[in-house]
Amino acid sequence: MNWTEILAFTRGPLFQVALVIFVAGMLYRLVRVLMLGWQKDKVPAKGSKAVGVVKSFLKGLLIFPFIPWVKRTFTKNPVIYLAGGLFHLSLFVVLILGAAHMLVWKSLLGFGWWTLPLPIVDWMAAVGIVAMVALFINRLFNPVLKLLTGPAEWLNLAFVFLPMVSGYMLTHHLFFRYEVMFSIHMLTVDFLLIWIPLSRISHFMFYFFSRAIHGQEFGKRAVNP
Amino acid sequence: MKSVEAMNTFVQDTGGWVASQLEACTRCGMCAEACHFYQASGVPEYAPVWKMELLRRAYEQKFTLIGKVKVALGVDKAVSDQDLEEWSKYLYYACTVCNKCSMVCPMGIDIGSLIAEVRAGMAAAGVVPDDLMAAVNKQVEEGSPLGVTDDVFESRMEWVADEWEEDLPMDKKGADTLVVFSSIEIMKFPTNIAAIAKILNKAGENWTLSSKAREIVNFGFYEGSHEHTKMFLERVFDGAKELGVKKIVVTECGHAYDAIRWHAHNMMDVPDMEITHIVGLIGEYVDSGRIKLKAGALDNGKTYTFHDACKIQRKGGHINEPRQVMKILAPKSFKEMSPNREEAICCGGGGGVIAIKDADALRYQTFELKVAQVNQVGADTVVMSCSNCRLQYTDCVEHFNLDWKVAGLSQLVADSIMD
Repeated sequence: MNWTEILAFTRGPLFQVALVIFVAGMLYRLVRVLMLGWQKDKVPAKGSKAVGVVKSFLKGLLIFPFIPWVKRTFTKNPVIYLAGGLFHLSLFVVLILGAAHMLVWKSLLGFGWWTLPLPIVDWMAAVGIVAMVALFINRLFNPVLKLLTGPAEWLNLAFVFLPMVSGYMLTHHLFFRYEVMFSIHMLTVDFLLIWIPLSRISHFMFYFFSRAIHGQEFGKRAVNP
Repeated sequence: MKSVEAMNTFVQDTGGWVASQLEACTRCGMCAEACHFYQASGVPEYAPVWKMELLRRAYEQKFTLIGKVKVALGVDKAVSDQDLEEWSKYLYYACTVCNKCSMVCPMGIDIGSLIAEVRAGMAAAGVVPDDLMAAVNKQVEEGSPLGVTDDVFESRMEWVADEWEEDLPMDKKGADTLVVFSSIEIMKFPTNIAAIAKILNKAGENWTLSSKAREIVNFGFYEGSHEHTKMFLERVFDGAKELGVKKIVVTECGHAYDAIRWHAHNMMDVPDMEITHIVGLIGEYVDSGRIKLKAGALDNGKTYTFHDACKIQRKGGHINEPRQVMKILAPKSFKEMSPNREEAICCGGGGGVIAIKDADALRYQTFELKVAQVNQVGADTVVMSCSNCRLQYTDCVEHFNLDWKVAGLSQLVADSIMD
């Protein structure tokens, strides 16, 4: 098997299998949580739950991750707060608005969209990698995170970090031949896709539950979420 | 084994509501930044995420494949009796269930509610701290954690009526509004009772006390036991039903308001009547002109600030009314602490913490955050609408030898009502 064949395998059959495992795994986890049942909230509301939910998402998606002083609590640890926000922004920009990834989406969904110029995407990718390193260092030294971190947390960081670094090296033609680097990138992506349903990286799906619940709980009480 | 029973309680009504939030947690540890106990002490185990760790483990091991595999591989351990003893300290000594953590959680997880779930497990396992449990048992047996029996209640109320010359209607059939005081007010802050009676009488409210629904305090809610919580709520509702009132007013008590206003309906059948807090009622009276306050009555060169109670402001929604009142009474000398309103730092004495002797050192340490906040605005008087906060402030003012005055909002309102 030469590198061309390995590349064809990792971006072909292996990618498809990984994708199926990813989608099936996430669906399984979603259905399992939904099947646990939802008690109806009978408490008479003081304010609007809907308004609370809208505010909760607006804060969560737009303001909250980027402006630490909106919630005055973060004055003590702004670096880590910003690193988390920037990491997710980078992820969004590279995966959705990067031309190479948009083409993958297009091949899967059948339609494409506008993308950002490469230099911007490239810089955002670098920002994401730096943010990831900051988060890694934080996990080593923060006393609370030391308590919370086990093998699963380190594996999460590693499995997310590898596709980011290999992707960056791929675009910059660093160290290895194109086919080799591309194969490594695809291999790490395939691995990540399989890992996500098994791990807490799946939080992106439950985010929509917890944010909505947060908005309801605060909106019901007529308090800003 | 205690832990088995507790685990079943952890997960018995772990519906999707709890499960989806546990699944959303990324273990980022940011909630620690919000917790006043962690901020004051630096003990990592006091991080809110760690307090709900037992719930996560119990849930994963019972409901998820991954959790079962983890136990089989030895990556995760089943919840043991020792774990319960250990967590009992984190949950009752170092948490006021103030829910500030949910404000900073990037995922928006309602951590306070999840911690209350873990307390329910603790209650089932019988690992609630002795002091707190003694108070719960006293409330079960005598009807009050502070010894407010039928006789004590009657004589205290008669005394207040005589001393302050206020009319305190008792068991009045046909009254619209039932007012239920907390035992802290009855035993420690009787001026509050006189003040609230004065406000209601001036507003022309058709109100009553009930000898059956004597007090609103709910130590079962601190404990986390649904059974006890319901038992104490039932006493209030029975009294209200008997008198046929349309409205229940909770006085300056935080957790009791949380229990009866935001939890009762999901735990039991609640009679169809409005439930509100005295602060909300004062706001209504001022808005509608049923009471008139002397503008600038407190502008006497001293500085006033308002302490937001976690259960009445952040969790109760009565954030604007106290400010509305303070701006009338002290337009020049009212100053806000920072952070405030829904982001306020909790007093550190709520959630049953102040009832636990062994938690005293930590409670005082945590209050240092409030000392810094109040000193920053240079306040002479700290105003609040919760008697539990007030108990904590009064105790800490003595402990730290501070020269602040501590005042209840109703008291200030009553003192400044125009005839």
